[in-house]
Amino acid sequence: MTAKRLRIITLLAISMVFLLAWAFPIVWSVLNSLKTDSDVLAYPPKLVFAPTLDAYRDVLFGSGSILPNLLSSVIISVGTTVVTMLMAVPAAYALARLRFRGKKFAGFYVLATQMLPPVGIIIPYFLVLRNIGWIDTYQGIILIYLSFSLPFAIWLLVSYFEDIPFEMEEAAYLDGASRLKTLWRIIIPQVRGGIAVTIVFVFLNAWNEFLFAVVLSGNTVRPVTVAMFNFVSVEQTLWAKLAAVSVLAMLPVVVLGVVAQKHIVKGLTVGAVKGGGRR
Amino acid sequence: MTSFKPTRRTLLKTGTAAAAFATLGPAFLRQAAAQDADLAPYKSAQIDWQQVSGETITVAVIPASYFENLIALAPQFKALTGIDVRFEKIPPAQIRQKSVIDLTSKTGTYATHAADPMYYALYAANKWVEPLDTYLADKSLTDPAWFKLDDIIPAWRSANGIDGKLYGMPYDGEVTIQVYRKDLYDAKGLKPADTLEAYTSNAAALNTPNDRVWGAALRGVAGAGQNMYIYPSIFREFGGDWMKGGKLTVNGPEAEAALAWYVDIMKKYAPTAAANWNWPDIADAFSQGTVASYIDAHSSASVINNPEKSKVIGKVAYARWPKGPSGKRTTSIWNWGFPINSALPEKKRKATWLFIQWAASAETQARTAHKFAGPTKRSGVNRTSVWKDPDYIKLMNGFGENFVEATMGALQDDTDVDWRPRVPQWPAIGDTMATAIQSALSGQVTIKAALDDAQRRIEPMMRG
Repeated sequence: MTAKRLRIITLLAISMVFLLAWAFPIVWSVLNSLKTDSDVLAYPPKLVFAPTLDAYRDVLFGSGSILPNLLSSVIISVGTTVVTMLMAVPAAYALARLRFRGKKFAGFYVLATQMLPPVGIIIPYFLVLRNIGWIDTYQGIILIYLSFSLPFAIWLLVSYFEDIPFEMEEAAYLDGASRLKTLWRIIIPQVRGGIAVTIVFVFLNAWNEFLFAVVLSGNTVRPVTVAMFNFVSVEQTLWAKLAAVSVLAMLPVVVLGVVAQKHIVKGLTVGAVKGGGRR
Repeated sequence: MTSFKPTRRTLLKTGTAAAAFATLGPAFLRQAAAQDADLAPYKSAQIDWQQVSGETITVAVIPASYFENLIALAPQFKALTGIDVRFEKIPPAQIRQKSVIDLTSKTGTYATHAADPMYYALYAANKWVEPLDTYLADKSLTDPAWFKLDDIIPAWRSANGIDGKLYGMPYDGEVTIQVYRKDLYDAKGLKPADTLEAYTSNAAALNTPNDRVWGAALRGVAGAGQNMYIYPSIFREFGGDWMKGGKLTVNGPEAEAALAWYVDIMKKYAPTAAANWNWPDIADAFSQGTVASYIDAHSSASVINNPEKSKVIGKVAYARWPKGPSGKRTTSIWNWGFPINSALPEKKRKATWLFIQWAASAETQARTAHKFAGPTKRSGVNRTSVWKDPDYIKLMNGFGENFVEATMGALQDDTDVDWRPRVPQWPAIGDTMATAIQSALSGQVTIKAALDDAQRRIEPMMRG
C-alpha cells in the first residue's frame, strides 16, 4: 500500500468517526420515533425492528396534536425574522457607514442589551405584556423576541456591511443614485450572503427559544418547544412521541438550511471584494 | 376505477375540514357527554352551584393523566355551575416558576394551579393565596355534610397546611412505598424488608449485574423533588431533626449516617446510571426487569403495569417503607393541591372555590378514577372513602400484590408532615441539599464535607 493511499484511508476513517459523532443524535431520534415504546426501552438497543408511524400519527392527529403548536412556532419565527430583518438591515447599514453623534455609544448600547441574563428580565417583560394585554399573543411574543434578535442581527450584519468597499457606493453616487437607492440596488445585493446567514440564525433562535415562550405563552399561542414537554410528564417520558416531535420540529430548520445553503456558504466566506472599512 | 386526483382546492378543503374536526371534534363529544352526565349527586349539596354563573377562570395544571381525566369532565362542571374553566398545561418544572411570577406580580392570571406542597409556606408568608378555612366555613359556598373534608387523606391535608390553616385542597397525591419483584424474592426465599438494614441485604442478595439485574434503585438525579424526595425520609428515619433548637441543621451525626446509607446502596447495588435517574427512569428500568426493588412513589405502579411496555406484569408486589434505625417509618408524601389566588376579585375567588370543591369532591374523584371511561387508572385519589370502595380496590389490586394495603398503611401510619422542613426558604434549601447529596454520591467530596458545606450555604438563607 502506498503512503498516499494509507493517508487517504486514515483521513476517510477519521471523517467517518466525526460524521458518526455528528449524525448520532439525529439518527437516534429518527430511529426512536419509528419504534414502539417497548422497543425504545429494549436492551440491548434494537437496530433491527418493525418500524411504525404510530408515534407520528399520535403527535399529529391524536388528542394532543402538535399541529397548532407547529403553526404557532412558524408564525412566531417568521414574524420575528421578518420584523427583525426590516429593522436590522437599515440599522446595521447606518452603524457601518454613517457618521453621527453617539454612534459608538449606540453600537455599544445595542451590544449591552445582549449581556442581560434572560431570567433577570423575564418578570418585567411579563408585567409589561400583562399590562398591555399581550400575554399569550403573537405580537407579545414577537415583541419580546425582537429584544434579543434585533441586537444580534444588527451586530452580525454590521460586519458584512463593513466589508463592502466604499468605491462601489461612490461609483453609484457619481451615477446619480440616492443613498436609499444605493443601499437597495448596490449594497444589499452584495451582502445577500450575510443577510441569508442572519435570517437563518434569527429564525433558529426564535424557533428554539423556550424560556420566554413558556412564561409568556398560554393556550392560544404555544410554540412546539413548550408543547414538546407534554410528552415528559411526571408519570413517564413518552420517548417515541418525544422523538417524533423532535424530528418534526427539526424539519423546517433543515429545509431552511438546505434552501439557504448556497447563500450561507457565500456569507460565511464574506463579501465580493475585501477592503472596506468603517468611515 | 376512477383515480382520485386532488386539486389544490380539494386538498385545502379536506385539510381544513380535518383540522376543524381534530380541534373541535373532541369538544363536541365532551359537550354531549356533559349534557348526559348525571348532576344529581352534586345537586344534593345544600349550596347554589350557579351563584357566580358566567365567570371564566384559568387553571394551570401539569401534563399528567390524572389532570387529563379532570379536564375531560370540565363540561360537567360548566353544566353544573355555569362557570367556564380554561385549562393551561405547563411542564412541572415551569409551573412553579410561572405561578410564582403570576403570584408575585398579582396579575391573577391563574385562579388556581397545581401547587407543590413545599411552596405553601412561601405563598402564605406573602399572603399570595387565601386560607381555605374561610371558604370551608361559609355556608353559602360549602355544604360541609356533602363535601366531607375529613374524608380527604389527612396526611395530604396536613402537608398543605401552615400553622393549622389549610392553603391548598389536595386533588391527587402519592406516598412512598417499597416496590419489589416477587418472583425474584421468592426464588431466593427473601421477604420485603422491614428495616433499612434488611433492604440493603435484600439488594445485596439479588444484585447480579452480569445477568443485568441490580438489587435496588433510588432517585439519584440532583433536584429539590428528586434526590431530595428520598433523602429527607432516610434522614428522618435515622432520627434526624431539621430544626434543632429552632436552627435549621443539616450536618448532624444522623444526617451523616443517613447519607452514608444512601450513598452505599446507590454505589453498590444500583445501576451506575441511577446517579442521574429520576423516578420515570427507575420505573422504566424496573418495568424492563433490570431492577429487583426500588423505594419510590406508589403512583409509579401504573407505569410498571403498562401492558405496552412492561415485562414484569404479574410479578410485582409492594410493601411499606422499611423502618430506620430510630424505629420509625417516614414516607415521602406529596400531593398536587389547588390554592386560591388572592389577587382575584371576589366573584372569581368564589368561582375558583366552587371549582376546587367540585374537583376535590368524592363524586368527581370517583368519576376521574374507577368510574372514568378512558384507559387511565388514577392511583392518587384524595378520599379515604374511595380507597375503601370495592370497585376501586379491585382496580388498584390489578397493580400487584399488597398494593392497596401498603399504600393505605403508609398514608395512615408512616407519614410525618415535617419530613421536609416547612419554611418559605425550602425551594432554595432543597436545591442546595440536592447538590450536596450528589457531590457525595459522585465521590467528589466526603459525606461530612458535603453536609458541612450545605450547612454553611443554608445558614444565610435562614437569616435572610
